[in-house]
Amino acid sequence: MRRRKGRARSKTVVNVVLAFICLIWLIPTFGLFVSSFRPATEILKTGWWTVFPHKENVTKDTIQLPKETDLRQPIEVKGKAYSDAELKSGVKASDGSFLIWENRRGRTINVQQSGWTMNTSFTTENYKGVLTGKQYQITDTDGSVKTKKGSGLSRAFLNTVTVSIPATIIPILIATFAAYAFAWLKFPLRKTMFVIVIMLLVVPLQVAMIPVLRDYTALGLNGTFLGVWIAHAGFGLPLATYFMYSYISQLPKDLFESAFMDGASNFTIFTKLILPLAVPSIASISIFQFLWVWNDYLVSLVFIGNQPGVQVLSMKIADMVGTRGNDWHLLTAAAFVSMLMPLAVFFGLQKYFVRGLLGGSVKG
Amino acid sequence: MKPFKKTSTVITAFILVFAIVLAACGNNNENTPASASSSNEPSPSVAASTEPSPSASSEPAESSGATALDDALAGKYKGTKVSMFGPFTDVDQVKFEEAIKAFEDTTGIDIQYEGSKEFEATISIRVDGGSAPDIADFPQPGLLNTFVKSGKVIDVASFMDAEKLKANYNQSWLDMATMDGPNGKLMAGIWARSSVKSLVWYPKKAFAEAGYTVPQTWDELLALTEQIAKDGDPAWAIGIESGAATGWAATDWIEDIMLRTTSPENYDKWVKGELPFTDDIVKNAVKKMSDIWLNKDYVYGGTKSIVTTAFGDAPKVMFDNPPKAWLHRQASFITSFFPQNLKSGEDYDWFYLPPIDPQYGNPVLVAGDIYAMFNDRPEVRAVMEFFTTGESIKTWIQSGGVIAPMNDAKPEWYTSDVERRMAELAQKATTLRFDGSDLMPGAVGAGTFWKGMTDYVSGTVDLDGALKEIQAGWK
Repeated sequence: MRRRKGRARSKTVVNVVLAFICLIWLIPTFGLFVSSFRPATEILKTGWWTVFPHKENVTKDTIQLPKETDLRQPIEVKGKAYSDAELKSGVKASDGSFLIWENRRGRTINVQQSGWTMNTSFTTENYKGVLTGKQYQITDTDGSVKTKKGSGLSRAFLNTVTVSIPATIIPILIATFAAYAFAWLKFPLRKTMFVIVIMLLVVPLQVAMIPVLRDYTALGLNGTFLGVWIAHAGFGLPLATYFMYSYISQLPKDLFESAFMDGASNFTIFTKLILPLAVPSIASISIFQFLWVWNDYLVSLVFIGNQPGVQVLSMKIADMVGTRGNDWHLLTAAAFVSMLMPLAVFFGLQKYFVRGLLGGSVKG
Repeated sequence: MKPFKKTSTVITAFILVFAIVLAACGNNNENTPASASSSNEPSPSVAASTEPSPSASSEPAESSGATALDDALAGKYKGTKVSMFGPFTDVDQVKFEEAIKAFEDTTGIDIQYEGSKEFEATISIRVDGGSAPDIADFPQPGLLNTFVKSGKVIDVASFMDAEKLKANYNQSWLDMATMDGPNGKLMAGIWARSSVKSLVWYPKKAFAEAGYTVPQTWDELLALTEQIAKDGDPAWAIGIESGAATGWAATDWIEDIMLRTTSPENYDKWVKGELPFTDDIVKNAVKKMSDIWLNKDYVYGGTKSIVTTAFGDAPKVMFDNPPKAWLHRQASFITSFFPQNLKSGEDYDWFYLPPIDPQYGNPVLVAGDIYAMFNDRPEVRAVMEFFTTGESIKTWIQSGGVIAPMNDAKPEWYTSDVERRMAELAQKATTLRFDGSDLMPGAVGAGTFWKGMTDYVSGTVDLDGALKEIQAGWK
């Protein structure tokens, strides 16, 4: 009885801690979400949390001081003298109200009382600007003004899908083959090659950029989807191979031996045994690789560039902000649009992910 | 035996990886001089491009007296492509493409512009990686200078008519385009756009209602500042926060004040690093700025808020009703940050930052974009020549947001008075100088100068300490 109680209590503690961690992780995203629906001018003035009911000083009354009041001398309000600095940041009067400048030039002071309030100005303009493109005013040579519509995110979204899916499938396919070979096949220099793969994990990809770019220029692969697929595949392979190896090498040896006895070729073993068994780990490395490719900026910047036909989402979003960052408020909405796909992939594959983890533990 | 084998495997692997990395890095250095020398001669770099155009065609064109631009307008380069790379995106890109459309239609040359927010970093990677664009737009001549030094930029004077250039540009612009190449001086590019920096913006309507007048001298400016403070508002809206580039807005102030407190020759020396930051001349300029910046009654939000306010957000308080601040010194581009419902010339306007010492006249600080050429093909020459004409940015001027450095851009093209006056200001300036921090080497102009000013304004170091810190960047 006591033990069960103790277990239940520790479970509660774990759940509370997990919920707390989740909350901390979610708060910035939630703040971003709220901000994406707020007008830019409001974002500059107040924080996103003011959309919730909160206690704040609410103006009840305004006092007009004489116009010739000298701001550098103590200022008399309701029979008591305050300094300018006090009135700037707000000061508590003797009757419990709060005094703060409304307009220093007009010499008016707000008398505020503490009360409940919430910020309710929302807009969908940010999403409109992101999804359908911005409007530009162009004056023509004959002096007439025309409105040109910029492009929305749709083209870039499709481009990113075109980049991401092959750039996820190619390296994982190769890595799974390689992992099987490293784990179960005997061939010369197997260990050396595997250690090289492990060591490539620590080589920063930035080192390879200019040499690879030179080769791409020579081969004419620059600015093409094929080029960036190969680049992503190359950069993702070491980790994917290592990840798949650690899973595949743990599978029971007897399984392959008996399959081999029954006359299965390596390819049959791979397709009929390894692939179905490795689904959970393939799913998890797919999530990693997909997220990395989807959110990538650097590799796309160097190997595809910004031509509208091939431009990916991360670069399009950066461009939307304008040359000098004057449209920064669009970032919030754009970030959410770009998050949709990774979220979909994660929730789609998460089923396999969890099943894989449980599959091992229950059978034990 | 087994452990030994394992170690040897690891060592072999390590050596192999190391070799790969070395090869990757070494390759880079080896090839640089080779490609550098090749771009000096016109023909080999043509071969590097994938265009099928005959490389010989440029020679006879010159000898017959017709320029590449004439040939292009005659339709000689129909179907060719010219790649272009630059830092402007979004609305600027749309305006640019609109402005070159007529030229593309007439000549059949397809100018493929690619804009990137990471231009400064990407252009180096592309040039080193052998995929340099035909034309690149540099907002910072200092950056272009590094490519000129390594011999990768084509000398535009080799095919352009010097007389025509002289006629169409203020001599200061041509001087600023002349840089030191590996084989002597060359013309590194042509100026395509400019922006004027010595402007003080103010909310015009409210300004008039409050009974203020535009100051003509520095003393009047300070008197106005004091008057506004007495009336209950801080006069200046100042913000220098800009992410990794925080502090650049402060360098513009120093440059503007330098031009007003010392001779242009000293300014040039200062930009070249011959006049140290620790000199009294520079110190005096920073002090002049401090008269305004470090007075908490003069700056909206107080001195402390300067470094935490984004440069684009700073002017917005001028358009509250009533204005919370009244003056904002910034380059012409800042209007794109103003609230969109404002009318230029009615709700806001600018006045020229007044001179301090009358003996230095009316100096104007400018910035601009210089187009440089990396691949020499006849159609690229034609496009470059086209860019020296005001016609190449005509609709951009009409749509607003850009000032032409060319003399043949007509004043009536400017649809707003606010911008027309800027163009006039630059043309009538007694001294025209380029933004100094953009000309200094990156370690100073985009490094210690920004950082030092930020530290000084935030109060973490005193004036002498800050200037020493900035000067240290020259080493």
